[in-house]
Amino acid sequence: MKAASHDLRKLAEKLVLYGRKLGADEMEVTLYDGREFNVDVRLGRIENLVEADSRYCAFRLFKDKKVASASSSDLSLATLQALVGKALKRASLTHADEFAGLPAPARFKITEDSLKLYDPEVAGLKPQEKIKMALATERIALEDRRITNSFGASFVTNELRTILVNSSGFSGEYLQTYCSLSLGLQAGHGDHLVEDYWFSSKRHLRDLAQPEEVARMAVERTVRQLNPRKVETQNVPVIFEPTMTSWLLAFLFSCVSGTAVYQQTTFLAGRLGEKIGNDLVTVVDDGLLPGRLGSRPFDSEGVPTQRTVVIENGVLRNYLCNTYAARKLNLPATGNGNGRGVVPNNFYLEPGTITPDEIIKSTRKGFLLTRVIGHGLNSVTGDISRGACGLWIEDGQAVFPVSEVTIAGNLGQVLQNIELVGNDIQFESPVCGPTIRVGEMTVAGK
Amino acid sequence: MAQRKRAVKTEPNYFQLHPADLRKLLALALARGGDFADIFLEYRTSLSILMEEDIIKESSENVTLGLGLRVIRKDRTGYAYTNDLSEEKLKSVALTASAIASARTARKLPLPFRNLRPEKDVSRARLVASSRPLQEKIRLVERAYRSALNHNQDIKKVQVAYGESLQHIKILNSEGLLVEDKRPMVKLVVMALAEKNGRRESGFCGGGGRVGLEYFNRELTPETIGQEAAREACLLLEAVDPPAGEMPVVLSPGHSGVLIHEAVGHLLEADFIRKKTSVLWNKLGKRVGSEQLNIYDDPTRPGFRGSYNFDDEGSRPQKTLLVEKGVVRGFLQDLLSARLMKKEPTGHGRREDFSCWPLPRMANTYIDRGEYDPEEIIRSVRKGFYVSRLSGGQVEDSGQFTFSVTLGYLIEDGRLGRPVRQATLIGTNLDILRKVEMVGSDLEFGWQTGTCSKEGQDVPVADGCPTMKISGMTVGGLR
Repeated sequence: MKAASHDLRKLAEKLVLYGRKLGADEMEVTLYDGREFNVDVRLGRIENLVEADSRYCAFRLFKDKKVASASSSDLSLATLQALVGKALKRASLTHADEFAGLPAPARFKITEDSLKLYDPEVAGLKPQEKIKMALATERIALEDRRITNSFGASFVTNELRTILVNSSGFSGEYLQTYCSLSLGLQAGHGDHLVEDYWFSSKRHLRDLAQPEEVARMAVERTVRQLNPRKVETQNVPVIFEPTMTSWLLAFLFSCVSGTAVYQQTTFLAGRLGEKIGNDLVTVVDDGLLPGRLGSRPFDSEGVPTQRTVVIENGVLRNYLCNTYAARKLNLPATGNGNGRGVVPNNFYLEPGTITPDEIIKSTRKGFLLTRVIGHGLNSVTGDISRGACGLWIEDGQAVFPVSEVTIAGNLGQVLQNIELVGNDIQFESPVCGPTIRVGEMTVAGK
Repeated sequence: MAQRKRAVKTEPNYFQLHPADLRKLLALALARGGDFADIFLEYRTSLSILMEEDIIKESSENVTLGLGLRVIRKDRTGYAYTNDLSEEKLKSVALTASAIASARTARKLPLPFRNLRPEKDVSRARLVASSRPLQEKIRLVERAYRSALNHNQDIKKVQVAYGESLQHIKILNSEGLLVEDKRPMVKLVVMALAEKNGRRESGFCGGGGRVGLEYFNRELTPETIGQEAAREACLLLEAVDPPAGEMPVVLSPGHSGVLIHEAVGHLLEADFIRKKTSVLWNKLGKRVGSEQLNIYDDPTRPGFRGSYNFDDEGSRPQKTLLVEKGVVRGFLQDLLSARLMKKEPTGHGRREDFSCWPLPRMANTYIDRGEYDPEEIIRSVRKGFYVSRLSGGQVEDSGQFTFSVTLGYLIEDGRLGRPVRQATLIGTNLDILRKVEMVGSDLEFGWQTGTCSKEGQDVPVADGCPTMKISGMTVGGLR
């Protein structure tokens, strides 16, 4: 992809110059060059096989503090130039915004090599190998007689080059890989079915879980839900498995995003320096962890990524800002820019020292949350209400599976009530955390 | 507003590709023994405008151009796509997709194309948004913004987003089908934020569909959208925490269509049926719910967000009966599932864009009107929960589903009581469908703003229902 990279960088530079020539005060161009492979197998046969290269161009321009943006999968120069002309015209019809503009030029030295974003083994892996891994994963799982149907196994690889050039002199690019192996299963008979899945996703092939591991986890997570009960409505401690901590943190991210803060659409607006959680809660955003899924050398605006402590022992220290939100709030940009918005890099809850088993063993009565369905999260109020499945815990042991209940609470209270933080953080997604126990939430059932 | 009259103009050839070349491409795609191949060409332009903090902050334009090519061999699909339409690239796409089959020679050759035309146009766009000046759209956005902000002194912030797109598609397959269409879409949504005594709440409203800008003057004005969003935010300032536990639930007409989308629609999509993962796979001809339930999916409703003249495989869509008097009567089919199940396609093969292969999907799903007076339905509940607004839902193949209520009311002694905030409702479809006790006579459709996600693909949908009563459902509130 080396030659392609050179041509694309030239195209980006050409567009920046073109925008300037047409009258833009500032111009920023991003080019993506990606390669995707995806195989889905089901019941021992290939179901879908996808392979494709695709390219994409996005730009923003500023004129008299007015902004317009555009994007295109048609990379012909004529189309892109026409889009620049139209964007300038559109900008002139919108309103001036004193906070709009590119970030000030930054000097920094991080190469993609030190971040370990690219694995030539992923890029070079033969389709046959990927198909074999997917088939093996499903086959191992189906050997278990309790599994009655399969949603299939998938192996996915991606290779993506990102090129960013702007009129303030920034010019950078990085290449990254991604691979994942996943499996979804069903168990049960007749009208009483249960389902779950497991996956591993990494940048480097050698870090990816083996088919045996993915199959074992998917089987275990599926069959443990057989013959569920619905419990009485009550308030109990709730234990979040790591994948559940992930969504809780994704919700927290949406509440500490600088965009939501200046828009006042988060209950955490205006609370920097306040104690919003208990001492166990330390949350970090870090774009510089080598080899992790959320790492990148710079954000969508060319701001270098960094390590930002968001919550330190319960105290809200920083919001995560792109350049615009940073200017609105008079705070530093944190390298979380993503077009108009803000994204997490590696956004995680610092692990503790206790094992997940110890957390369960120390719980006299509680609900171990393993799955949620539905989207009931409201960042304006912090309210949480989601459909839930899990295991009922009594005297430190899982005693029966639970389904068709909901859990409800408020993120503000949850942060205050985190009683135990596990040591089992896995970094299988950019937003992640270990097992945690929350003092009390409402489980609604019968 | 001035009406533009123009002579019918031939559509420009966006794709710079001629049928003869595309037929050669299909032949190449079948060269390794595929049973079927098709090409999906897409050229889509879209525009969005955002207003917040009293200014038009940004506008963005997007151009999507690309080709997706699929080869089917038995139940296997090979798929490749590209946004580079050069001859060399297209050949490599055909070869990549053809690898799903492994014969040395072709078993089939593509048939000559015959151009299929729509029977009638489901789009109701007279003033097609993409041909109107930007100022006109900015005025709509500003009108919605002002009406939300001026609704009440408690409204502190307003965001308005306008979006439009025009998708040109061309679909060709090895059985000789050639279809071309263009699909306009607009959407105007408002989020209003209210604040009082340190408490903050947000409200939301929107509208649009496969309509032109005239819709916002005739059917749903920006003022109405803005006021509705503001009204919801202000109501929520007075709202109490939701109750928790199982209780009778009354669903408002229109918005509550989400329930049927989740509880019935997804589980009748033919891919889940033929794979036997849906809990409804063996229920054709069997009773699954109350006799009052008649459920349809109709992609031909004029102007609706989920409507289309052809699905994304070039099939003509049909109003499809899914459930009749509580008995399952049909599935939502695409070409692959219909072929494997030996059924007729129903025109529900949809995809997000050229980089995705088609899946059986819903379009406009609804429960037909019943007999009960809506007032009577509410009066019949002594103590329960009334669902007014929903923000979405989710289902799994086992039938367990949820939907998120943004605004509800307590029902006390047959009357609506205090407003209630955020709650998730959960149930299992076979259980809930049996518990449908009353279906009202007031069929309505929700706002034309819905998007449905499946296997990572988003498509526009709409849904509807009359007022309904469910005898017991778990409300996920606080205690």
